[in-house]
Amino acid sequence: MEVSDSVLERLRLVTALPDLTGTRYELESEIGRGGMGVVYAARDRELGRRVALKVLEVPITGEAQLIARLEHPGIVPIFETGTLADGRSFYAMKLVSGARLDRYIADHHTLSERLRLMRRVGEALAYAHAQGVIHRDLKPQNVMVGEFGEVYVMDWGVDAVAGTAGFRAPESTLDRLSDVYALGALLKSLVSASDSPAVAAIAEKAMRADRRERYGSVSAFLADVDRFEQGLAVEAWSEPVWHRLRRFASRNAVLLWLLAAYTLVKFLLFFLRKF
Amino acid sequence: MDADTAIGGPGGRFPSTHVSLIEAAASGLSDAAMDQVIALYWKPVYRFVRLKFQKSNEDAKDLTQGFFASALQRNFFARFDPAKASFRTYVRMAVERYSANQHAAENRQKRGGAVEFETVEEQVIATESPELEFDREWRRQLFFLALDDLRVHCKQNGKDVQLGIFEDYDLTDGDRLSYSDLAVKYGIPESTVNNHLAWARRTLRALITERLRGTTSGAKELHEEMRRVWK
Repeated sequence: MEVSDSVLERLRLVTALPDLTGTRYELESEIGRGGMGVVYAARDRELGRRVALKVLEVPITGEAQLIARLEHPGIVPIFETGTLADGRSFYAMKLVSGARLDRYIADHHTLSERLRLMRRVGEALAYAHAQGVIHRDLKPQNVMVGEFGEVYVMDWGVDAVAGTAGFRAPESTLDRLSDVYALGALLKSLVSASDSPAVAAIAEKAMRADRRERYGSVSAFLADVDRFEQGLAVEAWSEPVWHRLRRFASRNAVLLWLLAAYTLVKFLLFFLRKF
Repeated sequence: MDADTAIGGPGGRFPSTHVSLIEAAASGLSDAAMDQVIALYWKPVYRFVRLKFQKSNEDAKDLTQGFFASALQRNFFARFDPAKASFRTYVRMAVERYSANQHAAENRQKRGGAVEFETVEEQVIATESPELEFDREWRRQLFFLALDDLRVHCKQNGKDVQLGIFEDYDLTDGDRLSYSDLAVKYGIPESTVNNHLAWARRTLRALITERLRGTTSGAKELHEEMRRVWK
């Protein structure tokens, strides 16, 4: 029996769809596709809510099970993991409505907002590292910003993930410092040197090819971002004198205005007494 | 261009010479493994040769047979290094080199003789990418073979109703029977039609995966090829 190209294409499509027989989920539509699998919107019949189903070709073992246990406001909660009737593995996750970070920042230009996003990402990453989990593929496409500005880091990596060019550290084996590298690359994608040379320097330090020259942890990276936001000198940048003066002026603007006003009043009083 | 060969299509229509080719191979691969490789790759190689070197049906068949015979004699498939490329790419590049050498040898023999002009049709076909056609034919062949496996599996396991529903619903071009029509036709509830269809699709997917497993080097390449099939 010969089969036409259109029938073959149909077969390709129907065999690609996950077989949800025996699960509590009904497939709605495909919403994303990554290196490790495909994400679908689905309806949980038992709880009457929509969820995101990530369907993977590889079994969920080891670290992936650890990922499923992560509980943090910046990490998309996983409701269930399992194996489908067709042998594929799946995660059922909270369905986040919002925008991917790379699309969100197109409409949100302020430096403080971008640094807020970085902080949320960094906090989620630091928590995961404390739990023994590394991301392995941090990039703007794997960060979602919700309707109320909440930030979710998604697609926590499993061993087979090799990272993404531009965000992947040069070392062959990925670990926490590789995530620090990716965090720097993420910051670099959000903030340019013309926005702030100090922030650009933080990104550059996180992305050093020599791992020993990077921040030793995500917390150290966030601490430097904190210093910048508080108007302090950052560890990553030995700033020029004029920049230091400007930063001092900016941090002590009220005091300097009071001093100027005091000097002006004293000056006026001096002349008034004379005449 | 004359019509394509039916060799390498579904239904076990491989020439018996393939068995002897496999038997003659001084390879470390088992006969069954070689059988799978040739079943999947004979037609893509043939189509690639036809398009790339604008061969007639008979010439392309000879060249394809020659390629597999040479590959088996030289233990070519056993020398595949998965670190360098996928097996599919390895085969395509090898057949390209082999055919180019054969093509050049033929042209040397013909030199000084009458010049052969391409027909208009051949020139048009030649503008398509043979590499893309190779991959397309590979995917098509994979589904053909898995469909054959599914039919055999259903017949051996008394799943004639499942197969019938699947063929009526998924293998029909144009208007197809609805679930309720199929329920009436086979005298079963609609929900069973749904379950039977899901079973057939699931089994077909598993059979496709098995075919791929037999022609890839391991889990990594298998998953990459699965992505290529279902991307």
